[in-house]
Amino acid sequence: MKPSKLLIALFLLLALGLPWLVSGEGYSIRVLTLLMLFAAMAQAWNIVGGLANQISLGHAAFFGLGAYTSTILLIRFGLSPWLGVFAGMAVAACAGALLSLPTMRLKGHYFALATLAFCEVLRAIANSWSSLTGGPVGISVPFVPNAGIGLMQFNSGRPSYYIMLAAVVFITWVYWRISTSKLGYELRAVKANVDSAEVIGIDTARTKMLAATISAGLMGACGVLYAQFNFFFDPDSIFSLVGISVRVALICIIGGIGTVAGPIIGAFFLLPLEEIFNATLSNKGAGVSQLAYGLILMGIILIEPRGLQALFQKFMNRGRS
Amino acid sequence: MPLLQAILDGLMLGGVYAVISIGLTLVFGVISIVNFAQAQFLMVGMYVAYFAWHFLGLDPIFGSVISFIVVFLLGYGVQHLLIRRVLKAPEVAQIFLTVGLLIVLENLALILVGSEFKSVQTWSQNESLEFAGLIISMPYAIAFLASGVAGVMVWWLLAKTWWGRTVRATAQDPMAAKLMGIDPEKIYRMSFGLGVALTAFGGAVILPYLTVSPSVGEQFGVLMFTVVVLGGLGNVLGAVVGGLAVGVIQSLSGLFLPLQLQNMVLFIVFILTLAFRPEGLLRNKS
Amino acid sequence: MRENNPIQTAHIHQEGRRQALKGLSALGLAGVLPLSAMAQPKTVNVGVILPLSGANAQFGINSRQGIELVADEINAAGGLKGLGGAKINLVIADSTSTPNNAATVAQRLIAENECCAILGAFASSLTLAISEVTERRGVPLITMSYSDQLTGRGFKNVFQVTPKGSVIGRAQFNFAAELSGGTSKVNKVAILFEDTAFGTSTAAGLRAAAKDANVEIVMDEAYPLGITDVTPLVNKLRASKAQIVFPVSYLNDSLLIVRALRQQKINIPIVGGSAGYVIPDFAKALGDYADGVLSICSANYDLDTVSTERYRKRFNAFMVHEAVEHAVSLDVLIQSINAAKSAKTEDITRTLRSMTFTEGWAKTMTNGKIKFDESGLNIHAEPVMVQWQKNELATVWPPKFAKAKVISRNV
Repeated sequence: MKPSKLLIALFLLLALGLPWLVSGEGYSIRVLTLLMLFAAMAQAWNIVGGLANQISLGHAAFFGLGAYTSTILLIRFGLSPWLGVFAGMAVAACAGALLSLPTMRLKGHYFALATLAFCEVLRAIANSWSSLTGGPVGISVPFVPNAGIGLMQFNSGRPSYYIMLAAVVFITWVYWRISTSKLGYELRAVKANVDSAEVIGIDTARTKMLAATISAGLMGACGVLYAQFNFFFDPDSIFSLVGISVRVALICIIGGIGTVAGPIIGAFFLLPLEEIFNATLSNKGAGVSQLAYGLILMGIILIEPRGLQALFQKFMNRGRS
Repeated sequence: MPLLQAILDGLMLGGVYAVISIGLTLVFGVISIVNFAQAQFLMVGMYVAYFAWHFLGLDPIFGSVISFIVVFLLGYGVQHLLIRRVLKAPEVAQIFLTVGLLIVLENLALILVGSEFKSVQTWSQNESLEFAGLIISMPYAIAFLASGVAGVMVWWLLAKTWWGRTVRATAQDPMAAKLMGIDPEKIYRMSFGLGVALTAFGGAVILPYLTVSPSVGEQFGVLMFTVVVLGGLGNVLGAVVGGLAVGVIQSLSGLFLPLQLQNMVLFIVFILTLAFRPEGLLRNKS
Repeated sequence: MRENNPIQTAHIHQEGRRQALKGLSALGLAGVLPLSAMAQPKTVNVGVILPLSGANAQFGINSRQGIELVADEINAAGGLKGLGGAKINLVIADSTSTPNNAATVAQRLIAENECCAILGAFASSLTLAISEVTERRGVPLITMSYSDQLTGRGFKNVFQVTPKGSVIGRAQFNFAAELSGGTSKVNKVAILFEDTAFGTSTAAGLRAAAKDANVEIVMDEAYPLGITDVTPLVNKLRASKAQIVFPVSYLNDSLLIVRALRQQKINIPIVGGSAGYVIPDFAKALGDYADGVLSICSANYDLDTVSTERYRKRFNAFMVHEAVEHAVSLDVLIQSINAAKSAKTEDITRTLRSMTFTEGWAKTMTNGKIKFDESGLNIHAEPVMVQWQKNELATVWPPKFAKAKVISRNV
């Protein structure tokens, strides 16, 4: 389903206006901000998961690399987080390229396993290299009262929301550009049949690596933004399999893997649902909302693996006939 | 001496890793599914044995048999209701179905049983054997023996019985097996059940030296995959060798590296094995 | 020990939920009206964030019980006198065991419940995460966690009733040495610690004290908090030939370590680092083996039995240190509100820093009084060495605080 220009404009209008419907200090703006961030992350994952059909279960690795890079640079060298975004992107992109070297030729499950293991390696390193990362204690973005925009610290919740909105718009644009470009064409060829693609002259290795690098870099940028927003994280939360890697994949799948709007739809569906669970069942909140993830994931896979958009289409078609 | 001790401990642990991983490799070898939730069945097995101890006073060695049976039935059902539906589906579906199962099992346990760590108290916990200056902890020894017995039984089952032959035939060529009157669906159900039951059994026998919590599976997940990848996915004997190797690597890492990095060496071995085995890892059924 | 009372928890929780839903339904407009524009509040919300699930749940429950004891007593005696009898309303939330969740819970609590202060969260790693939130929102945080980092960041809203982790670690070593008859008798020592903020800070103190005394540290090993198999640790310990071991652990790891030492027949003295070594579950699980085990601690109930016996009567267990310290935290908060005649966060913070607390539960801490310095540390807090004696914890060192003689078993 290609979103029409009208829909895009409507969405942007809605997105720009949302923060003014809620308090700038309250909890709701936090939820909206995280919603935008996760949509951005899911879109970054979509580049390899959707376009290249490489199911990564370790994207949190790039997320965490970005977060740690910018925060460490901020703490040690006072580097502004605005520049830290580029640094985080660069480190994560390098990691993406590096990882794609040994994993390029791996088929589905094995690729997924390798990415999972890679993320675990990073988590173990972050946990033990305490002098650099603070270890299991975690790391905090230093609090400088009244530092203002230079250090990406704000008094209200709204600026953070707009930053995340900008991120999701940008990454969606990148996805769309790749999808409609030569690279996108090559990726689709590789996805269909690697050997045939080689035959018609596509350098499949370079193609996959390019997609991996871009996806990783964008994910790293999201990590930087998250670090600035949450101002605290530790290895277990930032390199989390279920909390980050699976979650962004799920968001993308629910919305429609391989579609432009998929990650955004998925985020709008899943994150408010999570909040409802947290609010109504706070005592056992952690277990229940994750259980819901698992059930939703299994459900969507069994019912319609192409996601909500396809489900909606099916429903509409059934209505017509 | 500490080196020999570490190697010995590694071998003992490795025996258990082997039995736990045979289940995973079996599932892959027969059904061609990588079960990301395998470690959660281990957790279920541990809890079953724990409650058998808590309510019935059964030593986990006997509780492990109950774990085996309970999880076998569970696996049988899971295969029939869930796995079967994605056998012909694209990879993304297969991967995320079992990943979803992982999340569901872990959080069901969290909700039903709570997150407190539980441990059993057995006579073996305070005992150890001394042998040429090396100490063999009793729970390790018992786990190793139990695993050995289970391993031999599985081998005998697969290699020497008629049933084992039908399983191997189905794994090799389901179409041909069907033509010979074998129902692949039934074989798949039994194999999945057997696969996860073995892992659960392994979990039960190590209960005396571990504590169980809903997230205990996470420690064994990548470990099991390392074992089967080293040994060759689908290769039961390979799982045994891989298990012992992983046990020793882990134990030696614990001796020389900070504890948090104990598994990192394994993960790196894992990635490198995946990367340098030829052409995306051929299945090797045996 | 009194079981988790689900009704009471649910009730207190529902208060928070009701307020939250009210707030949400007004789409956060409540945040627009400043608190001071309203009349004197009939209730004052105090946020309590503790690990009520996960590995540290037992510590969290003990802490909550200490807080509830004080809140109920004050409310029964007429509430907050400085605010015309306003009642204390505890808004209790489960931090879970991950720092990330704890921070999110703190965000939610502050945004939706207008808490005048936050108490919590027992585990230093959780408290650190929460403090990032409370500092930025200008909400006072009163805690008994003792990682050095808590007071080492120049934060203005953190108040810690206990000594610093490194100070406790130093005392853990020095007191043990004194009890053995001097540091000349202590030759090779092993330090084992869980790797989060709590263990790391305490271990730093142990390390420093051992170095100052020129004693050889033959093993200095951090282990992951969720460790389930301690055999590699024990192997290293045996290989190191240490003569005394100083483990710093929470509960599961303390049990694993002591059991493993027993099983591997390593009979060297154990001097624990509080937390898992002083909780009643430790003795319950180890039975006779617990008797005589020494541990450093930040407070002990036998320093003021008049107050702490009330806990025992209500909850059927001795008042373990985290319960004492959380009771103390709530009490200094109450005293500050009464003195300042206000529940505004700035007034509370100012009063907490300026007052010296000598009444009520403040008397149960060492030296019978509390005073917070610029960084938030209680300058009168000192560590004490306790020992398990017949399932009770007796303070045995230093002599000025001791209530019982040390029985020889380990030292």
